[in-house]
Amino acid sequence: MLIEVFGPGCAKCQTLEKHAKLAAEQSGGNHQVVKVSDYAVMVARGILSTPALALDGQLKFQGKVVSSDDILALLKG
Amino acid sequence: MSEPVRPGFLRRGGWLLLALPLWATLYAVNHAASEWLTFRLLGLTPKSHLGDAVAFLFYDTPKVLLLLTLVVFIVTFLQTFVSPTKVRDALSKRRPGLGNALASLFGIITPFCSCSAVPLFIGFLRAGVPLGVTFSFLVAAPMVNEVALGMLFAMFGWKIALLYAGTGVAIAFTSGLILGRLRMERFLESWVQDALNAPSLGEAEEESFTLPVRLDLAVQGVKEIVGKVWPYILAGIAVGAFIHGYVPESFMAGLLGKNHWYSVPLAVLIGVPLYSNAAGVMPIVEALLGKGAALGSTLAFMMAVIGLSLPETIILSKVMRPRLIATFVGVVALGILLVGYLFNAIL
Repeated sequence: MLIEVFGPGCAKCQTLEKHAKLAAEQSGGNHQVVKVSDYAVMVARGILSTPALALDGQLKFQGKVVSSDDILALLKG
Repeated sequence: MSEPVRPGFLRRGGWLLLALPLWATLYAVNHAASEWLTFRLLGLTPKSHLGDAVAFLFYDTPKVLLLLTLVVFIVTFLQTFVSPTKVRDALSKRRPGLGNALASLFGIITPFCSCSAVPLFIGFLRAGVPLGVTFSFLVAAPMVNEVALGMLFAMFGWKIALLYAGTGVAIAFTSGLILGRLRMERFLESWVQDALNAPSLGEAEEESFTLPVRLDLAVQGVKEIVGKVWPYILAGIAVGAFIHGYVPESFMAGLLGKNHWYSVPLAVLIGVPLYSNAAGVMPIVEALLGKGAALGSTLAFMMAVIGLSLPETIILSKVMRPRLIATFVGVVALGILLVGYLFNAIL
């Protein structure tokens, strides 16, 4: 799956990126984590608050740092 | 309802029944414990400079941390009911006036981090929220900080909390109205103009939570916020303790009192570059008020620290040309000055 992490690069966004990478590793599947820091892209995707996370283009969370366990659950579910 | 006491009762919110009495007990014994620690255990002399400063330190640290925990818990719980997306939809296509009023009020409670300022700003405009209304929100969100409001209420009572919220909302309302009238859309950076017209690539789905999840989110909020701001609180308390123990009353009353024209601008000038957050500033406010600083000057100081922060201005300069940024900062600063003078004059 394509895991996109959106954020300008503040501390919260970096933490979320770390969590996403950890979850991708733990799941053992074929996942790719991409960091998106372009505001224009975020706006087009309907993101109002950062950090945000999307799976295969589908926005899942915004405005909060979710744990790697929560991301793992999404990857498996 | 078939099982009155399910095994997961504690996990589903029952722990609050244990946590609240514990909190109340700690809060109740704090004053006596701090006095005992300072004057008995350390043997410092009451009413001495050092004794007063140390007593303030031992009393205020647990007090502020306890209050902050409770306030953040309540605020984060309430915030699970609002989201920027809901606010945006409520403000979309609103006329100036009512729109500005709603935006200023929503700004109090909406969770907002200054690193989200840019996507939020453009997202609002794209959804048809007028520029002036968007500004009202952008001014109110950081200036009337929900945690600061809760802390003011807990530490100084509802009158000061209401003054703070009321004047902050008034500033946000008026400056948004003015900025909207100035028709400054053309002073947005050109990439923002492009982004406003770019096709949408999707929308976020709205989340809904059950009560245990909301409580869990509130606990997470407490861990995250208290875990992050405690150094600022300690710094604030250290400054507060110094003011409390060593700065003579006449000095503070003279500098930030109500009888000098310069006390309000001075408070703002000191406040803007001070990067702190809502909770860290409280012990300083407490000490300033205790030393005879006027309420107007103190409110102006607090609003300048929380509401006109340098980092947010730098982030916003990515979307606004210098002239729009300067107007934005100018209008807000003017509002804070007016509030300071007003309260120094009438109270």
